[in-house]
Amino acid sequence: MASHKLPNYLRVYRKRLGLSQNDVAFLLGWRNASQPSRYEHFSRIPTLRTAMALSVIFQASVHELFAGEYQKLESAVRRQAERLEARFTTENPDQATSRKLALLKTIISSEDNRI
Amino acid sequence: MKSKKPNPKRVLAIDPTSRGFGYVVLESPATLVDWGVKATRPKEETRALAKVLELIRHYRPEIIVLEDHRGSRRCARIQTLLDKVWRLAATEGLKCHHFQTSRIKQVFRTFGANTKHEIAHAVAQQLPELAPRLPRYRKAWMSEEYGMAIFDAAALALTYCYSKPVRSHSTLN
Repeated sequence: MASHKLPNYLRVYRKRLGLSQNDVAFLLGWRNASQPSRYEHFSRIPTLRTAMALSVIFQASVHELFAGEYQKLESAVRRQAERLEARFTTENPDQATSRKLALLKTIISSEDNRI
Repeated sequence: MKSKKPNPKRVLAIDPTSRGFGYVVLESPATLVDWGVKATRPKEETRALAKVLELIRHYRPEIIVLEDHRGSRRCARIQTLLDKVWRLAATEGLKCHHFQTSRIKQVFRTFGANTKHEIAHAVAQQLPELAPRLPRYRKAWMSEEYGMAIFDAAALALTYCYSKPVRSHSTLN
């Protein structure tokens, strides 16, 4: 796999299935292919509803379709988890905090193995 | 325990033709990201270069693979275009690798493919997404099919993946 993922792989999945942008637009209930084209050119990010519909069309998970976006969000969440972990470790951890810390550790140490 | 994943680079291979150029983008020898033919009018090199630049900016490849035209029978226009693409890739900060046709044939001989048609079949076996675009067998009196440029570009990209580059941007000039 390449070092940095593309924001999305919609074009790859569409071409693999032999669908045109018009076909995808039709499946999404739209009149023309301008919006799918914008997604493929990375100039727009679809809504959650559209992303899930695309997942249904291409028979692939959302994080596979939007691998780059997922990677970006994952590292952002990991950074925030590190900050939250630092905030919790300064206090005296009770049972609930210990559980939160364990979760945060999992988030921080997790590598992207799903894509 | 999680192991570190291999980290190959995204590769863009371009094969210019008389009517434009064929291209493929690979993320690994088995992962095809995009493929196609970009058509331009004959002798419209500026437009062809603009389309190459568009691909580079869109896919942000680390490596571009082109044909090494030294000693080949490609026409002067294609040779100039290949040099211009190489220069464009260099200005965009891409590593450029060139392979002669003989090297491509040498790599594909290991897959039992000797002719151009057999190489296209070997490429389609490796990258099944390309199978629907596989050109029919060309007889001597038939001209080459439009989509063959995709297979030529894919053969270049796979040659890069399967072999150590013989000529890099640092040695070309």
